[in-house]
Amino acid sequence: MTIATLMAVSNIWPPVADKWSDVDIAVLRSLWIGSLGELPPDPTNAVADDPRAAKLGHALFFSTSLGPSDAIACATCHRPELRFTDGMQKGQGIGQSKRNTRSIVGVAYSPWQYWDGRRDSQWAQALSPIEDPAEHGGNRQYAVSAVVANEEFRQQYEAIFGLLPETGDTRGRDTAFANIGKAIAAYERLIMPGPSRFDRYVEAVLSGVEDQSLYSADEIAGLRLYIGKAACTQCHNGPLLTNHEFHNTGVLSFPGEVPDNGRAAGVRQVLADPFNCRGEFSDASEQACAELEFARSGYEVLGAFRTPSLRNLEHTQPYMHKGQMFTLAEVLAHYNEAPLSMIGHNEAKPLGLSALELMQLEAFLMTLAAPMATDEKWLRPPVGSLGSL
Amino acid sequence: MISGMIRFCILLLLWLAPSLVLSHGGVVEEEDLCVIKVNYLRGHFKIYQPLIDGHKEYCEDLPNATESVFVMEYLHDSLGEAAVDFRIIRDVTGKGRFARWEDVAGIDDLEAATVLYREPTVDPDVLTVIHDFKEEGAFIGIVTANVDGDQKIYRAVFPFEVGYTGLGYWPFFIALLLAIQLQYFFMSGRLKRRRESRAAAAFVALLLLCAPISDALADEWVSSRGVYTVRFESSLEPIEINRIHNWILHITSNGEPVSGASLAVSGGMPAHDHGMPTRPRVTAELGNGEYRLEGMRFHMGGDWEVSVEIKASGKTDTVVVTLEL
Repeated sequence: MTIATLMAVSNIWPPVADKWSDVDIAVLRSLWIGSLGELPPDPTNAVADDPRAAKLGHALFFSTSLGPSDAIACATCHRPELRFTDGMQKGQGIGQSKRNTRSIVGVAYSPWQYWDGRRDSQWAQALSPIEDPAEHGGNRQYAVSAVVANEEFRQQYEAIFGLLPETGDTRGRDTAFANIGKAIAAYERLIMPGPSRFDRYVEAVLSGVEDQSLYSADEIAGLRLYIGKAACTQCHNGPLLTNHEFHNTGVLSFPGEVPDNGRAAGVRQVLADPFNCRGEFSDASEQACAELEFARSGYEVLGAFRTPSLRNLEHTQPYMHKGQMFTLAEVLAHYNEAPLSMIGHNEAKPLGLSALELMQLEAFLMTLAAPMATDEKWLRPPVGSLGSL
Repeated sequence: MISGMIRFCILLLLWLAPSLVLSHGGVVEEEDLCVIKVNYLRGHFKIYQPLIDGHKEYCEDLPNATESVFVMEYLHDSLGEAAVDFRIIRDVTGKGRFARWEDVAGIDDLEAATVLYREPTVDPDVLTVIHDFKEEGAFIGIVTANVDGDQKIYRAVFPFEVGYTGLGYWPFFIALLLAIQLQYFFMSGRLKRRRESRAAAAFVALLLLCAPISDALADEWVSSRGVYTVRFESSLEPIEINRIHNWILHITSNGEPVSGASLAVSGGMPAHDHGMPTRPRVTAELGNGEYRLEGMRFHMGGDWEVSVEIKASGKTDTVVVTLEL
């Protein structure tokens, strides 16, 4: 048998999927990591892109000294090796958090933080666990004092933000607390996903050489379902495979709890948050707060949660806002059925996918696995830092 | 003769029973919806047993003694502003299905009979209560709403059974529901309304048929009654999903710019029956029939509709701008 015959045979088996149409190719391009534009500026954080702030933020992120237990760091729940999640249904700090720990990979692209969007910037989000009794279990006074007490932190802080406040200056203390969040956010902005096998496949399609060896027939069929019949791109669109929006998808309540009101409550909290875009600690002008200004509230977002990215699903289980589902098969079965929501209105419609199609979809989703695009040094505690994990 | 009298009495009872039961508030099935009536305030009522039955909804009786989630979604906004308390008691009234507030009020030791009490709380979005039933039996639920700064107290009382298997009152209840349905048909003029809604549907269908004509010009949209014409420019061109941006609306009437209009904007995807992720608003009138519309964001590819209600010089009309993203 000649090489030419062999190649001909390999083109027939496995069966070659139909070629992608121009419309399909446009969709594939929109999901490709190469379409992830430059990191949007964070007008609320003047030091968002200051390398000195990222260095301090890196140390603070891994430091257990911000809370009185001296045992909890941001990295306790946001573990780099699990793509900054913790592998548990709900976060575990001093006590148990109310929801599943979300990844912080690529989150700088989202206008909202948390499952319910109760914070509108990465720095405002970073402050919240410090004062949550179930997480760091401390308060802003304690956190600022911890920075004052640590020579290394204090020097770095004062080089960026100026002098730390005197004892008793509550306004200064709150500003310093906000600055701690802004430094952590400058670090978190560096945490980005890398290209996956999916991205290499799209590059092959875009350059006109559809390299069949990159994807199996099942994975191609799964991708076709993803952008077609399974309607995944209704919410999981764009290069991070999320629209950063809030959707009610009828996930069952957590055992022993009433259903979670989700965004309906979160939107009230973000509007009342003193550290929001419009607040006195924000560096943004009022005009830059359009997301907050025009946020939707009410019944339509009852029981709605922010769409998570689908990159790195292999590291981020269990899934859903309270970690209700442990496997992708469970998640896909749920969307295939699209049951009525316990509260509010499930936006998803039943899909009618066969067992084979569900398997193909899962095979495709696993091709989104990829190493991080962030330099290794940021994924470990800083060398020689005090009080690190 | 006697049996005729009995039949007459039963019919009379069936006729009166709904108003007797419902005038004080309770739970009834309306079409496919389970409705709780707290006086005139109504809510969509459902009970789940998620550990055993997942998403299955119950209206009153529950098959298992297990963790049960009671959900009341408000069909009337006042319920979201009222402090509402929620109590479940063992049925010690002996009245079973026919227990009313008067019977509950007559219980000597309400606390002793209570298996769950939730303090009055304002839940702006939805009322949800969880209770783990430890035993089967007959229970009574009592929802109390304190309305208008506690000036008025409204109640719903709904007897129900847990772990219920036998026929019990079911035949009677089916007859009762039938009577409610019949009474509703005759008393509320529903037959007439149905005809009207059919006429309305035909009208809407007609409008939909006509819609493509008004869209003939690709970037100009005419309001449904032809009063206004709207063009727009987006600050984001082409419009991308997931990015907040602004529009400038140009509004004319008979070719003349429209000034001093008040505009209400909403939008959504009819195919997915959901709205926009933001609540856009006109923030400035720029003169010459131009208005700045801020807070536009679309979060999915597909067909979108943005509806602009225009009120100017006493004329109100609505333009539906259609977009494919």
